[in-house]
Amino acid sequence: MITMELKIDEVARCLDIPVNTVERWIRQGRIPIHKRGNDCIFKESILKKWASTHNLLFSLGDEDTKKHQELPLENLLPVMQRGGVFYNVTGDDVTTALKSAVDCIFSLSLNTKEELCQRLVERENLTSTGIGKGVAIPHPRIPLLEVEKNPLIITCFLEKPVNFKAVDDNPVFVMFILLSASVKFHLHLLSRLSFCVRDDGFVDFLRTSPDSTEFFSRIAHFEKQLDKAETII
Amino acid sequence: MNMLKSWRYPMSWPVFRFDDRLLLIFIATIVGICSGLAAVVLNRSLIAILDYLRPFRNFWWAFILPAVGAALSSFFLDKIVKEGAGHGVPEVIYSVSRYGGLLRMRSSFSRLISSCLTIGSGGSAGPEAPVVMSGASIGSNIAKFFALNDRQRVTLVGCGAAGAISSIFNAPIAGMVFSLEVILGEWSALNIIPIAIASVTGTEISRLLQGNQIPFSHRQFNIDLISILSCLGLAFFCAGASILLTRMLSTTNQISNRVALPVWFRAAIGGCAVGIIGLFLPVVLGEGYHSIRTMIEGTFSQGIAIAALAFLAKTVATSLTLGWGGSGGIFAPCLVIGSLSGLVYHRFLVLLWPFVSWVDEGCYALVGMAGLISGMLQAPLTGIFLIVEITGSYEVIVPLIIVSAISTSLCHYIEPDSFYLKDLVSKGHLLRLGTDARVLKDLSVLELLEKDCITVKQSLLLRDFINIVKKSHRNYFPVEDEETGNFLGMIHLDVIRQYLFNPGMYDAVFLGQIMDTMVEIVNPDDDLSEVLRRMDTKGLYSMPVVANNKFIGMVSKATLLDQYRKELMVQTSR
Repeated sequence: MITMELKIDEVARCLDIPVNTVERWIRQGRIPIHKRGNDCIFKESILKKWASTHNLLFSLGDEDTKKHQELPLENLLPVMQRGGVFYNVTGDDVTTALKSAVDCIFSLSLNTKEELCQRLVERENLTSTGIGKGVAIPHPRIPLLEVEKNPLIITCFLEKPVNFKAVDDNPVFVMFILLSASVKFHLHLLSRLSFCVRDDGFVDFLRTSPDSTEFFSRIAHFEKQLDKAETII
Repeated sequence: MNMLKSWRYPMSWPVFRFDDRLLLIFIATIVGICSGLAAVVLNRSLIAILDYLRPFRNFWWAFILPAVGAALSSFFLDKIVKEGAGHGVPEVIYSVSRYGGLLRMRSSFSRLISSCLTIGSGGSAGPEAPVVMSGASIGSNIAKFFALNDRQRVTLVGCGAAGAISSIFNAPIAGMVFSLEVILGEWSALNIIPIAIASVTGTEISRLLQGNQIPFSHRQFNIDLISILSCLGLAFFCAGASILLTRMLSTTNQISNRVALPVWFRAAIGGCAVGIIGLFLPVVLGEGYHSIRTMIEGTFSQGIAIAALAFLAKTVATSLTLGWGGSGGIFAPCLVIGSLSGLVYHRFLVLLWPFVSWVDEGCYALVGMAGLISGMLQAPLTGIFLIVEITGSYEVIVPLIIVSAISTSLCHYIEPDSFYLKDLVSKGHLLRLGTDARVLKDLSVLELLEKDCITVKQSLLLRDFINIVKKSHRNYFPVEDEETGNFLGMIHLDVIRQYLFNPGMYDAVFLGQIMDTMVEIVNPDDDLSEVLRRMDTKGLYSMPVVANNKFIGMVSKATLLDQYRKELMVQTSR
């Protein structure tokens, strides 16, 4: 059997209890750990058995913590860059416009594209994603499995404005197709995107079907503003 | 070399490293020897003092002797070693339940000396409880010396008590059962074996030094059915006697506490009163083992009136000795009163039905002893095994069980807590493992602290506060002063939620205006049961913890439940 030595706060973390409690349990002799100075000496198998008979969790935590570590929330810019910008996307109505837009996404397989298209149309049928000022943010209702890790925003400038039944009935000239892995990502990206679109100057800038480098630098500017607002306390 | 260095830390010896059972058995042997020796020393010195004082007993002023003894013993305890009066068993139980059996070194001899003075001079008390205290303290200090943990120390305290009782009565099973039933109140395999070993060692020490004699041997009794049935009455009689003695003890103690005199002087008054009773009825003096012997052998010649008088006188004398500050135990007086009540009961039966052939009166005396021990201590097993062992009479086991059981239940019905536990329970000091009070006492506020609250400054505008709300996981925000860092109040999201959606308010108020300054706060060293009671009465789910005017965290019912459950599981299952 292996004898292990851990610091008391590491033991506390493995058992998910406060350090004071571990110290008291050792002092009271309730836990099979022997203390020498600040080090806890125990046999892993005995402590594991003890923990399971007392319905406590014990894990040394190396492999587990990685799994539970959440992915950091990505900002708009890398997601948009990954999705790409497309110009003169054809289509006469919502369905055809979405279809030709989805066709542009090169990272997806054919089957997925079909499914995605169907899902986007389904979502449009529920309520329009046209948020006004000629901008639409189509997205599937349930996250797509294929984009599990890396969310995408595909920016599509339409060849001619399409009636999206948007809230302000303005025909849509630009679509940001938002594909994300989880609700958390989705909300995070959506809130940042809507912050940009709220700016009328930016919408006017979009109407010019700008060059992608210029477009991204505008986005980067917005993001800086957002980050600044968040750090102010 | 390494072995030599670490001889004081047996937990690190390879043999004992991860299984402390062997270690406990090993140390229990040492504790058994030491506490057995303590018992023998007490026994020998009592005999010596009694012998020395015997010539003086016949003088008319002999009633002064118990007074001097009690005063000296009380003076010694109060002024020299600075310990509380009494016999010490409640202190041992309290220490076991609260401080993991931590006892002072001086306790290992203080009660021995004081009880020697009290009993040797004629005070009506027993040497057993003092020797229990001393054995327990020896066990505790040996555990401290070897740097053992609380659980092991508690076991060794039990070992000390068991060794002491075993040695002084030459009764290993009684010592073991007493220790488990009264001192520890917990029967687990981890405890039983070391305690059994200590009992055996203690007994063996006393047998080596004083010879193997049964203290109250007697001839064989032939018990028929009618005698067994008659024991039912004796059980009621014994229960009555136990209640009487318990009540008398606490009443005299209350009276004594109301007298505005120095402790030693009070003890002297009590001793003097006992001495005066002793002039007329010498049976009440001392621990009274001699009179027990005469009663069991059936040579107690006086009639029922004298026996009844002696019974009452012994009760009064014991109350006066112990209630007024003398030092000594309740065991021996219980045995004397028990045998007297057995005797009185027998004489009474003979008076009513002279033609029935009752079993010898010694048998009743013996059963009466068990009845009183069981009733006073509310420990039926201790009563049964003690009497079987000190009298060597297995044939009376059936009446013993009947009387012990009935006497215990009746006493429990009238006095819910035994003589030893009464004071502890009334002060809320009895905390047996796995009980609610014990779990709450063991957990501390600091162990429940939630530190994920975001502290805000009081001059912060509501607009900026909203950014903080966005990031927080919690509904509570402690507010502190920006210069001193002192805690000022709390902001609860529920209270200000409606204003968060009113942009007109954003720049109109700062946090110092909207915080709640009348919050209930907790100190880190507050008692958790008290904290919970406050939460319940105020309908709160969490409270801020404030130390030295600084906010250090929150304590909430949710975390408490989580920790409470873990603590309960760790305390109850082994």
